[in-house]
Amino acid sequence: MNNTLLMEIEGLQTIKTLADKLGIKKQSAINLASRLKKEGYLTTTGGGRKIRFYKISTKKQRIRSPGMFDIINKYSPMKLNPWYDHQVHGKYGPEEALVDAIETKSFRAILASLRLFGHIKDWKQLRKYAIKKGCWQQTLALHELAMKYFKIRKIPSQYVKEDARDWISLTQLRERHNFPEIERRWHVYIPFNNRDMEAIS
Amino acid sequence: MITYEDQLDVFRLVVTAIKTDLTCYGFGGTAMMFYGYKDETKDVDLLFEDDASRKEFISAIRTLGFEETSPIKVYIPEKLRDKTRPLMFKKDDYRFDLFTKKIFRTQISPRMKDDLYAIHEFRQKHTLTINVLRKEHLVQLKAITERDKDFEDILTIIRKEKRFDWQYLIDETIWQDQHGDSWAILDMEKMMQELKKYVLIEKKYFEQLYDARKKA
Repeated sequence: MNNTLLMEIEGLQTIKTLADKLGIKKQSAINLASRLKKEGYLTTTGGGRKIRFYKISTKKQRIRSPGMFDIINKYSPMKLNPWYDHQVHGKYGPEEALVDAIETKSFRAILASLRLFGHIKDWKQLRKYAIKKGCWQQTLALHELAMKYFKIRKIPSQYVKEDARDWISLTQLRERHNFPEIERRWHVYIPFNNRDMEAIS
Repeated sequence: MITYEDQLDVFRLVVTAIKTDLTCYGFGGTAMMFYGYKDETKDVDLLFEDDASRKEFISAIRTLGFEETSPIKVYIPEKLRDKTRPLMFKKDDYRFDLFTKKIFRTQISPRMKDDLYAIHEFRQKHTLTINVLRKEHLVQLKAITERDKDFEDILTIIRKEKRFDWQYLIDETIWQDQHGDSWAILDMEKMMQELKKYVLIEKKYFEQLYDARKKA
């Protein structure tokens, strides 16, 4: 496919804008869109009652395997704009995405991921993965925080042990003392305040 | 040639054979396919942070039938004299070029670690994580490896990217020069001179390279 042509029409297009931009007939624009789709440079959204949009890129648009950002954006009202493309080829669900979000140490990623507690089905898997990544202590603290604001299930009691020793920061923000009880119980500094939590409630 | 689907399949097989979690950096054709710049590549280029990880990866691909092959004819002789030359493994049309710690004299810079384009995790019992470097680093490394079609690939990246950050590339090249890669600036300048025949490159970028060389 001609790169100059792709650069010219890169972005979101409809059949009409595509035809106008290239000065071609509507049928020719449809044919071009079809060819681009076959070659992997075009994906479609909408259709039916909505306007059909064509996303055209100079690079091939591969089929994605969902990663952390996809799972968070699926379940959380707070959407994240990914700062890297995370894809997991294999089993991946809210359990893993929650732990990966904690691992990023990003304020927004962790805040948005709190909603994933409502979609955890396999607590054993969550615990296993969190322990492997060394963040079970943080997970327990965040779960207790999430329970204060949303209706979520309790973690089965056999997985909960209050034996936290070292103090841990979730992000670079420390000692905000917004939730002193939770912080003291789990020895985890909670960077969020009431308004942050309301943003995802 | 290895297609994008072949590449995913081979990683899916490798992850079943590894005995520990592994992390590596993908660059070259591998990374270009993850980006969507091209559909097939001659080889899968991977960089490991330590020898133990590379060893584990090698033992996994050996169980899949890969055998060591010679890098002669693939890399230019002066590069092959370097201790950090890659180990190459082949099976049919598939080839792995496996580097550890350095790609010849170029090392993993802090920005290479932080500014990743993508992370692809292949999960089974263990996880194989491939950190895909950003486009400026791909160009930088292709300027160093100087294999067949490397220049063609650089041209493809530059032509397809509206927002190619030349300043970032120059900064990274100078960082490598300051950290022991005496080829970094020479290779980059040579590549940019060649590239100038096809795309516009501002003079200030060349001057920054020359200034850095003078100071060195």
